[in-house]
Amino acid sequence: MFAMDGIAAGLGVALTPSVLLYSLLGVCLGNFIGVLPGIGAMAAIALLLPITYHIGPEAAIAMLAGVYYGAQYGGAVASILLRLPGTPQSAVTVLDGYPMARKGRAGLALFASMISSFIGGMLGIAVLALLAPVLAGWATAFGAADYAAMMVLGLVAASTIGAGAPLKALAMVVLGLILGTVGTDVNSGAQRFIFGTPQLMDGINLVALAMGLFGVAEVIGNIRAADRQGTPEPMGFRQMLPRPGEMRTLIAPSLRGTAVGSFFGVLPGTGSTLSSFMAYAVERRVSRTPERFGEGAVEGVAGPEAANNAAAITAFVPTLTLGIPGDPIMALMLGAMVIHGIQPGPMMLEAQPAMFWGLVISFGIGNLILLILNVPLISIWVSMLRIPFHWLYPAIIVFVCLGVYSVRGSSFDVLAVAVIGAAGYALALARFSPALLLLGFVLGPLIETNLRRAMLVGRGDPMIFLERPISAIFVAATVALLGWTAWSAWKARRRG
Amino acid sequence: MRRDWHDFWGGTAMAAIGLGVAGWAAAQYDLGTLRRMGPGFFPLGLGLVLALIGAGIAVPALARTGTPQPIAWRESGAILGAIVVFGLGLERFGLIPTTAAAVLIATLPAPRSGLVWRIGVTLAVTAIAWAIFSAGLRMTVPLWPVGR
Amino acid sequence: MTRMTRRTLLAATAALALASGAAAAQDWPSQPVHLVVGFPAGSSPDTLARLIAEPLAERLGQPVIVENKPGAGGGIGVQTVAAATGGHTFGTTINGPLTTSPRLSPELGYNVAEDIAPVSLIATSPLVLGVNAETGPADLEAFIAAAAAGPEAIAYGSVGQGSGAHLTAELFADAAGVEMLHVPYTAYAEVTTAIVGGEVDAGFMAPSAAQPLVEAGTMRILGTTSPEPSPLAPDAPVLAGAAGLPADFSAELWNAFIAPAGTDPAVIERLNTEVNAILADPAVAERLLGMGWKAEGGTPEELAARIEADTALWGAVIDRIDAKAE
Repeated sequence: MFAMDGIAAGLGVALTPSVLLYSLLGVCLGNFIGVLPGIGAMAAIALLLPITYHIGPEAAIAMLAGVYYGAQYGGAVASILLRLPGTPQSAVTVLDGYPMARKGRAGLALFASMISSFIGGMLGIAVLALLAPVLAGWATAFGAADYAAMMVLGLVAASTIGAGAPLKALAMVVLGLILGTVGTDVNSGAQRFIFGTPQLMDGINLVALAMGLFGVAEVIGNIRAADRQGTPEPMGFRQMLPRPGEMRTLIAPSLRGTAVGSFFGVLPGTGSTLSSFMAYAVERRVSRTPERFGEGAVEGVAGPEAANNAAAITAFVPTLTLGIPGDPIMALMLGAMVIHGIQPGPMMLEAQPAMFWGLVISFGIGNLILLILNVPLISIWVSMLRIPFHWLYPAIIVFVCLGVYSVRGSSFDVLAVAVIGAAGYALALARFSPALLLLGFVLGPLIETNLRRAMLVGRGDPMIFLERPISAIFVAATVALLGWTAWSAWKARRRG
Repeated sequence: MRRDWHDFWGGTAMAAIGLGVAGWAAAQYDLGTLRRMGPGFFPLGLGLVLALIGAGIAVPALARTGTPQPIAWRESGAILGAIVVFGLGLERFGLIPTTAAAVLIATLPAPRSGLVWRIGVTLAVTAIAWAIFSAGLRMTVPLWPVGR
Repeated sequence: MTRMTRRTLLAATAALALASGAAAAQDWPSQPVHLVVGFPAGSSPDTLARLIAEPLAERLGQPVIVENKPGAGGGIGVQTVAAATGGHTFGTTINGPLTTSPRLSPELGYNVAEDIAPVSLIATSPLVLGVNAETGPADLEAFIAAAAAGPEAIAYGSVGQGSGAHLTAELFADAAGVEMLHVPYTAYAEVTTAIVGGEVDAGFMAPSAAQPLVEAGTMRILGTTSPEPSPLAPDAPVLAGAAGLPADFSAELWNAFIAPAGTDPAVIERLNTEVNAILADPAVAERLLGMGWKAEGGTPEELAARIEADTALWGAVIDRIDAKAE
């Protein structure tokens, strides 16, 4: 059978010593870089790409991809332990991961993130392998109206993820949406809110925003507090493992997270940052005890971590089968493939089955290595909490600066971190949730561009949102969600 | 009685930002029509919504009591200063002197006194930064001050 | 005697100055050369720069470090080159930042004529007009006839307001005497998806972006903007002169090697010689072709003339777009 031949050829590719070696190197490096706050997969891949020019194409792509999904594993570590997301994708892990760590359950939080990352990654690989040709058609079926309607649903669904006052949560979402308008307006070419600064023409740098809001603000707030509050008890490996009942509580959120992550991963333009927010929103919605979220609910770690790992893998579906990179990291990956003489596109599965299956199998091996690597590392990461904070935070600040600089070699972006960090500290003092600002920032340009594009291709007729079936479903779901929220609020008020 | 100044000022700041954005968008950018929205359409709408929300946060806060939270001026100054020094210095003075200076500045507000540990942290972080970014990732950045 | 001494001294100083100038050019490059690219690692302009950088390093006897300064559609890169001093920083760039960006984005703050010294053209690429293979018009005549039905009868995608794809489409529309609805996207992958998915009807794009879809049978190419058939799109008919279009219809993307203004002319000459020698290597030309570029080369003066001609050509198109928007 065709697929069997492909898998056999793929095994041959994936088990080549050089591919195995570079894949291993990539996942370890990605894992490490994900742990460091500031530098994420994007910058690491951009910096490593020129180095891969002299190794074979399969090894090069396996290594760069390993950096990408390896960083998704590592990103959670700093989120959980230090309330500093290692990568923007793991910003949402802060919400429940950090409270868990404060309650002395850092080990469980890390374990949950590793297991759910593994589940998300492995099932994502299954989706990639089995459904790639089918899902590829799905990506082209989505038009601007469908994207716009889906993003509005996402915005409504996720606006409730922050604990605390709803009005303050909403303020952050809107502020995020506003910050998302900075830069060149895609539809008109107008430069908005750049105040004569060409560095802002491509918008505010996502990494600078995430690091300023979370990293810098957190460091400032903690310098005095951290050493006083004492460090959590050191733990043995046994105490880190979930208690019998807890293991089961991880499975369902991981599966839901995988589904959410796969959905957003396959759709170009949405990205893994968004998928982790959406998975969090889903967990909160389906939970019978939503009040635990924000206080250390393990589902709030497992869902998003499964989602961003699944999305990291399934993002290869449109990249490999259509040649459509879904996000900047995938664009980089596509560029890397082209440099190495691999032409992703509709013909790739037929023309280069060994390459395709080789990558799929090497992703599987990579995920297995990451799991084996990370579970024993948990105790080492936890022991990081015993390092006095005043030893740690100057390093964090430098890594944030270097990480942000490395994204596009821009000193301007480093200075932007200082400005965003000052604003982030002010927001933290006034108890506003930075996670929601980041959500608005990611969603805003997607909603605006697609909404306006839909009106344009619909020749100005808003009925386009109801005539297209995909869009109509999302519009109906949004209305239903709003209605349900209003109804439950009304019921709660009548009861109380 | 202490009012909830955090929410009052937070809400007021949001309202001010919202009005500023809306005003700037209305004055500077084409609003377009609903059929063909211009670049000013979204910022204007979002700005007005933020202004309303800000007012909704600020006004009730006046009738509430809150617990004031001290502002860490020294810490903010040192951390933000370190980042600014880093951003301005990196391309001119090179990775090693800039990193060292930034780390030293960042350690200033630490609760532990003494110079020895500060120099220790500075040396360690500078060495690690060099090892990861310059030696490991081959980032194109000068290591020492450049003459160009 | 004193006059003699003074005159000799003057002559000696002049000779010394000349000699040291020549020595400076001879000693150059005395340190690693930086090649600034206004696009991220892995992008097509970056790959092209690295392809040139490697043999250039061998020929100059100094490392050539490619520095990515992405942003503003390549504008940040040219801005970096314009501001560079020290005689060891140069750049490669696509045409936009040298022709249309200074006008579309005045905040970039550089003036090509005053701040940039052209070194050499590197490569060119035409744009091809792609339509949906199933539902789109069969040929150029049918396409223009469909567009003539009304100002919004045909919607086309581009990679952004003021991009080469947008301006080329407007140049085409003007030449064909039609009006089309412009729908801006941000990348060719989005445009091709929109064409295949039926969201827009057509689009001008780099041949390499259309290639995989043409092979898969989902996209059809109606023509190429190059004045003669391009090796990058060998099967595409030339638009010039076809279906009532003017015979001189031509629009090309290009990539060039630039230096900051005030660079020693001897250094520019040296760089021009080396770049042309590199481009003359059939292996380099072959690799460029694989990446979607046709190797060119030429003198600094030819590049300066091309910049001037394209600035005028696209300036006129932008004028028309602006007038229509009023």
